[in-house]
Amino acid sequence: MHAIQTDSLTKHYQAVHALDALTIDVRQGEIFGFLGPNGAGKSTTIRLLLGFLRPTAGHARVLGLDMVTESVAIRRRVGYLPGGIALYDTLTGEEQLDYLARLTGRPPIRRAALCERLELSARTLARRVRDYSRGMRQKIGIVQALQHDPDLAILDEPSEGLDPLMQRAFYGILESLKADGRTIFFSSHVLSEVERVCDRVAIIRRGRLVLVEDIAGLLARRRRNVTLRFEGAPPRLDGVPGVSGIELSDGRLACGVDGDVQPFIAAIAASRVTDLTIEPARLEEAFLEFYDQADSA
Amino acid sequence: MNAALLRHTWRLQRLKLALVALALLVWGGLMPFIYAKFGSQFKSLLASGLLPRQFTRLGGGDVFSLPGAVALSLIHPIAMILTSVFAVGFSAFAIAGERQRGTLEVVLARPLGRWTLYFTLLAATFGFLASAIGALLIGNIAGSTLAGVIAELPLEKMPLVWLNGVMLFGSFAAIGLAASGSFDRTAPAFGWTLGIAVVMYVLEVLGSLWPDAEVLQPYSLFHYFKPKAILLGEAQPIDFTVLLAVIVTAIVWTIVVLPRRDFAAPI
Repeated sequence: MHAIQTDSLTKHYQAVHALDALTIDVRQGEIFGFLGPNGAGKSTTIRLLLGFLRPTAGHARVLGLDMVTESVAIRRRVGYLPGGIALYDTLTGEEQLDYLARLTGRPPIRRAALCERLELSARTLARRVRDYSRGMRQKIGIVQALQHDPDLAILDEPSEGLDPLMQRAFYGILESLKADGRTIFFSSHVLSEVERVCDRVAIIRRGRLVLVEDIAGLLARRRRNVTLRFEGAPPRLDGVPGVSGIELSDGRLACGVDGDVQPFIAAIAASRVTDLTIEPARLEEAFLEFYDQADSA
Repeated sequence: MNAALLRHTWRLQRLKLALVALALLVWGGLMPFIYAKFGSQFKSLLASGLLPRQFTRLGGGDVFSLPGAVALSLIHPIAMILTSVFAVGFSAFAIAGERQRGTLEVVLARPLGRWTLYFTLLAATFGFLASAIGALLIGNIAGSTLAGVIAELPLEKMPLVWLNGVMLFGSFAAIGLAASGSFDRTAPAFGWTLGIAVVMYVLEVLGSLWPDAEVLQPYSLFHYFKPKAILLGEAQPIDFTVLLAVIVTAIVWTIVVLPRRDFAAPI
């Protein structure tokens, strides 16, 4: 069964097409990254899934439940961290978490472990939220979303405001959730974080889906930048599958390699290569490349 | 209705409610003293013709009888302002305020239907109003006792006065919640609710003071608030019916509009 399944999900605000015929499947137990710049439709998608917005067309199922008619049942099993979460300033951190846990109606069985990993001490939780820094608020936001051990966590920019140490702790939390079979759907602008923790990624642009692919496949298809130095005759790379942009000068050859690297390796094997540098494909480049392609289209 | 949300709402408002209730208690206690001390003098003044008779007609309130003094304590601008803290202020901010702050999406991310949210807030608001008006009437009873005029107060009629008051301010609260559920921001929700309350109060006062404007009074909800008539045993079912109709209309509006509204990301 899929944790999230959307079928031509569409949301228009009069002339503004916030989301156009989005069709994606998020598998149970995976960490799914949802990428796109501001205004691409990420938050609109999340808000549709949680029943905050009514779709113009299309439909979706979350944890097997209908997004519109079974919204309350969906939210019973989902944990949600909004982007730039707002909290009740007059409550302490603990009161805030207690209140939201009571509203959820499920015991906060993960709270202690989450607070420990995010270094939220009892003393910190006893302070009023109005005295918290942005990072502390974000930690409370993460705990409130996950404390009741939801089957599906929907996280909007979850590492925003966290320092690098806390980001690492947060990635650890995601890995633990995944190990326990939970599904995580999160949107992010931090591509290195998506690359690090996600199994699959969807790229959305101007309300339209550009691509859905697993991270490894995306990176494997991504062009690598190769530079090699050689002695004697240069390697013959013309016509080698996946090789492009060959630049040759003074015993140095630079080119791009897409997809399978075996033909390239076979082609340079006959030459005397003295140095070889292959820049690993980064999600950021893949992301920008897909955006460029979408722009061209 | 959601018990956790109801408790939370009461908790956040408890200090405000305590202060309003205390102020109304003191205010309610004051009027019987004024009646006991100056009632007969005012009555003589009125009989002399120095004071226009219209001064005795504001919401049936006066200081020449204890029922009139009780009515005046309820319809006086001091009581209006204090009660409006909840009838207008709280109700208009209840949903739109959470929406504007961004906390509404944290709450609605829980298994909480929009009707549940609304009816819980409606119950909380009526609870605040019931407590506030109850405090004022307790003040009336305590003041009457201390001033030695309690025998003039038909205590058995006080629950009906309380109900009439709760229904009047409850109708404004229901309008406020309807506005709060219809707008994304607090300014229009508060503005509409306050505007309606002020215009209706002005219509009632104007009609009281100026006979030619009496025709406008039926358009004011304050016209259906009749504490003195109730205490004198002259209550009319129509007064309760009109207020009930307004409350029901506002509720129906909200339960139709609120679930259909889009809650986009807070601005």
